[in-house]
Amino acid sequence: MSAEKTRTIDVIKQQRQVPELAKQRRKAFADMRKTIRTALEDEPKTIPELAAATGLQVGDLTYYLMTMRKYGEVTVGQVDDDDEYFYYELTKKQTHNDKS
Amino acid sequence: MPENTVPASQYDALVIGGGIAGEEAALNLANMGFYVVLVEKDLSLGGKMIHLSKVFPTLDCSACITTPKVSETARHSNIKIYTYSEAKDIKKVSNNRFSVNIIRKPRYVIEEECTGCEACEKVCPVIVEDQYQYDLVGRKAAYIPFSIANPRIATIDIDNCILCGACEKACLAEAIDFTQKPEVIPVEVKSVILATGYDLFDAQKLPNYGFNKYKNVVTAMQMERQLVPTRPFNAVLRPGDGKMPSNIAYVLCAGSRDATVGNPICSQICCMYSIKQAQLLMGALPMADVTIYYLHIRAFGKGFNEFYMQARGMGVDFVKGKIAKISEKENGNLIIRYEDVYKGKVKESEHDMVVLSTGIMANQGITGMFPDLNLDTDPYHYIKQIDELRNPSRTSIPGVFVAGAVSGPMDIPDSILSAGAASSETASYMRRLP
Ligand code: SF4
Ligand code: SF4
Repeated sequence: MSAEKTRTIDVIKQQRQVPELAKQRRKAFADMRKTIRTALEDEPKTIPELAAATGLQVGDLTYYLMTMRKYGEVTVGQVDDDDEYFYYELTKKQTHNDKS
Repeated sequence: MPENTVPASQYDALVIGGGIAGEEAALNLANMGFYVVLVEKDLSLGGKMIHLSKVFPTLDCSACITTPKVSETARHSNIKIYTYSEAKDIKKVSNNRFSVNIIRKPRYVIEEECTGCEACEKVCPVIVEDQYQYDLVGRKAAYIPFSIANPRIATIDIDNCILCGACEKACLAEAIDFTQKPEVIPVEVKSVILATGYDLFDAQKLPNYGFNKYKNVVTAMQMERQLVPTRPFNAVLRPGDGKMPSNIAYVLCAGSRDATVGNPICSQICCMYSIKQAQLLMGALPMADVTIYYLHIRAFGKGFNEFYMQARGMGVDFVKGKIAKISEKENGNLIIRYEDVYKGKVKESEHDMVVLSTGIMANQGITGMFPDLNLDTDPYHYIKQIDELRNPSRTSIPGVFVAGAVSGPMDIPDSILSAGAASSETASYMRRLP
């Protein structure tokens, strides 16, 4: 007899396969998050600068970076000199969850 | 299957749809003393209106108008609400009663236990497009739909869940329950109000405009989300590369008044919401140019023409032109090829973002809720008003009424008026029942 409370996740795991697409989505986010975090470690960057540093597509970067911003992992800085692109940096301390 | 083994609960009216029309109809009936069951297919009440920035032509905050109505509906003691649920198998059991099966889909979260603390959301490792931000940003597989959702509780998106169990571990309220199954709740009612609203036109049906192919071509709903305080990005930005746009084009009648895409009628709201967005954009991006490409401007409502003139006065450029094609440059800018109707010439212009003012379509699948009854629709698949001038809420089934855009395109004030008419016709119908 286990002292641990039975978790309902163990019940559903017996009945359901994890969809392949869900696994891919988890991996895509994990990889992107790691790449973006590494690229922002030293200094804030704009999205084109992030693309140049990582080789990733600007569209994909925008989507994942904005998702990280939504969950409070990335903070918005100043706009660049041409008033075109914002700088983004890693949030120093996890602050209040800025989700919509 | 142990379906329908519980005795059916009795109500006076079933309202299907928890948007502004459904709420208005349900509240009116509840305030007259009737018992109402309201079924909403989405996770929250509020319909489309709760996601809008401002309303035209007054520029009042949309969420500020709709959220008090949402709360009043949710709190009303005469209204029983089922969200994330669908009404099915609506049948006549006698001359003046319908039986209905309400199918409650599993959230995998116990509604009464969830405190909306977001702990599950924080630990969930899966990111999926956020449907409430029209896919501009991601959300987790364990998620609270949006900040002003009602009820404000979490849901597990099981199709995108990797069954890691992190959410259940993190939930101190022990609200997560992966053993939930769909429930069938039988009810009986005297009348039904259909308030299921409309569907948005799918912009992918316009391949010449490049939606989903060119990231800086967005729909008006995506722009609308960029204009609300709970927006997907930190400012109005191009989804293709996060650049602040400085030259935005609107393409009106995208998927309306166009028989080739199956929608030959006017959507009635696109001219005005585009003019509204143009005005809001000029406030959000004071240096930006906004051009609206139109066929005709239909500014027929109270204060609409003045609102249109106000946009012109603010510097919005209106070009009468039919758009043939949109193509993309390497820098993400877009080239619009169009026929300038006044000059009789084919021209090209460059913009850094294009907004498709997509139309609205009938919400189909409603007739399927009535397997044995004949619910008539009009040629455009909207629910037919069989006596439009004298009893505008009446349908081909006695006891079934329409409220809002389920019977045709209409704006918010007209939807509320229509819901008022539907509730009074329904009340008068019920009072006359033996
Ligand atoms: S399910 Fe649990 S962890 Fe998630 S919001 Fe509700 S109470 Fe919080
Ligand atoms: S079990 Fe599913 S919903 Fe819960 S945290 Fe894991 S992936 Fe997310």
